[in-house]
Amino acid sequence: MLLDFDRLGPWKWVLITITTLVCLFLLLPIVFIAALSFGSSQWLIFPPPGWTTRWYGELFADPRWLQSAFTSLKIAAIVTVLSVGIGFLAALSLNRGSFAGREVLRALFLTPMILPVVVLAVALYAFFLRIGLNGTTLGFIIAHLLIALPFSIISIGSALEGFDKSIEDAAILCGASPWEARLRVTVPAISHGLFGAAVFSFLASWDEVVLAIFMASPTLQTLPVKIWATLRQDLTPVIAAASTLLILFTMLLMIIAALVRRGSKQGTKP
Amino acid sequence: MTSAFIEIRDIKKQYGPITAVKDVTLDIRKGEFMTFLGPSGSGKSTTLYMLAGFEYPTAGDIRLNGRTLLDTPSHKRNIGMVFQRYTLFPHLTVGENVAFPLRIRRLPKADVERKVREALRLVRLEGFEDRKPALMSGGQQQRVALARALVYDPPVLLMDEPLSALDKKLREEIQFEIRRIHQETGVTILYVTHDQEEALRLSDRIAVFSQGKIDQIGSGQTLYAEPATRFVAGFIGDSNFIDTDVVSVEGSHATLALPGGRTVSGVPLHSAGPGKTAALLLRPERIDLKVGEAGAADALSGTIRDITFLGNNTDVLVDIPAGKQLSVRLPFGHPMLDGLRPALPVALSFNPATVHAFQG
Ligand SMILES: Nc1ncnc2c1ncn2[C@@H]1O[C@H](COP(=O)(O)OP(=O)(O)OP(=O)(O)O)[C@@H](O)[C@H]1O
Ligand SMILES: [Mg+2]
Repeated sequence: MLLDFDRLGPWKWVLITITTLVCLFLLLPIVFIAALSFGSSQWLIFPPPGWTTRWYGELFADPRWLQSAFTSLKIAAIVTVLSVGIGFLAALSLNRGSFAGREVLRALFLTPMILPVVVLAVALYAFFLRIGLNGTTLGFIIAHLLIALPFSIISIGSALEGFDKSIEDAAILCGASPWEARLRVTVPAISHGLFGAAVFSFLASWDEVVLAIFMASPTLQTLPVKIWATLRQDLTPVIAAASTLLILFTMLLMIIAALVRRGSKQGTKP
Repeated sequence: MTSAFIEIRDIKKQYGPITAVKDVTLDIRKGEFMTFLGPSGSGKSTTLYMLAGFEYPTAGDIRLNGRTLLDTPSHKRNIGMVFQRYTLFPHLTVGENVAFPLRIRRLPKADVERKVREALRLVRLEGFEDRKPALMSGGQQQRVALARALVYDPPVLLMDEPLSALDKKLREEIQFEIRRIHQETGVTILYVTHDQEEALRLSDRIAVFSQGKIDQIGSGQTLYAEPATRFVAGFIGDSNFIDTDVVSVEGSHATLALPGGRTVSGVPLHSAGPGKTAALLLRPERIDLKVGEAGAADALSGTIRDITFLGNNTDVLVDIPAGKQLSVRLPFGHPMLDGLRPALPVALSFNPATVHAFQG
């Protein structure tokens, strides 16, 4: 290997230093927030003068925080199901179909990924204003589905790419109808792709804030919107506590996803 | 004609401007082992896929037991198939893979277990029920695929180059197994390959495909001894072709002028056109070789260019007039072999009744 780590000599230490700095840069804000959430000062002073779990108590005592967490969870869950379902169908037709304009359609499906979210948010807001979807759960779901779908299509599409269509054909000749074959053979065989799609879709909705701010109403707020709104009123460490829990939950999902991916790799490769 | 088990009638498959299969007509008897043999792109797979129902013919009909198959979707045709690529369901064990067609058919559990056991015994993989496909060799996977395709007793088994991914030794081993399974089950098999040796070893009859049509159908022996076209002659077995002039035609036989000026009469002539030339097929092992100048009874004179020892045969490459070369095959231990050396003059002769000429 050209860039053998062990043969880098003094450069090795440069590399290690840079890597460490990048890791710190990425991790410090999280550590910082977590530390503040346990700090005893109510002015978000760092380093905290003392330690307390008081802010977590306040967080769980306030029904509005729980309400917004529940809203987030509900929207993310529905978005996940829809995104995986629609993503599977879309990826299937992009992967198998031979219709004209297939590549254009593929690009179209992926535009929400490259379009600035604010642009999307303003456009959706104006459109939803006309059809009365702003401030509704359905509006939230549609908005988040838009940004979640590309993740699903990419994840499921690449899983389908690695799946030999002949296997599905074999199931059909064995007597399974085309949809039976897809559900009983293709879906289990690409389950890692579906799972990846589910995790990314969930996260896309779960910690999305820009669209959510446009979609939200005083009575319908997701957790990130609640954090943002609270932040504008007063700077309480409860925000840090909520943020910490949000990050923890996200990390938990990522870890599960990584574990599942490793498990499925071990399953397919001897 | 109506006694045929499978009747393929004038089927045609068009992909836009490409004609993949044109006017293929074929009758297959019950229990027959029929092989589609032909070079890459000759339409073998496409024909098989139309039987499986994955492709729909542009024209023509396919009948099984006198009834058309074309209005039955693939999953209701009750046909077994083994594919070129490994198609075991990766998330299921070997036992579950073989049980899959039976579970789809909602057979009682006890029957499923018994049939799976029988099928795995048939392919000699008893005791592998709980293995995952990824942990099996290619040969084993194809045998499981065979068990899965046979477990529901289909009347027809399709196989599309099932052994092409395996090495030669393993391939021969599984060819032998396939032959045994064919004899044990009596299933009608349609087998696709581009390996002539495999076709000859396995089949009752072979359909030779070339450019989307069937050139000839017959047993391996017929194809070898009585090829109908120059393509079949060149595809089955080793062959020499020499260019000759047609001197005269008497019915289905011809008198030909060979390079060097001598003529032979009574050569079976297959006419593909009105041309004045014909390609003469000479099998290397059917040419008689003598050391010395050509006499009156000999057809060609030449000089030895090269001698290649090939184990059970020795190939002698002979320069003949008009800058051509002929390969002559002598079996191991042939009394003449010791006396052969490069540059030696030789005389060649053959029995005109057993060779073939293809008019161009
Ligand atoms: N879906 C398709 N679209 C366009 N052309 C096709 C399609 N399938 C097959 N063909 C063409 O039809 C012809 C016959 O293909 P087919 O796969 O039947 O050949 P084959 O005899 O099985 O060859 P091989 O030994 O390479 O498998 C080829 O020229 C191929 O390019
Ligand atoms: Mg093929």
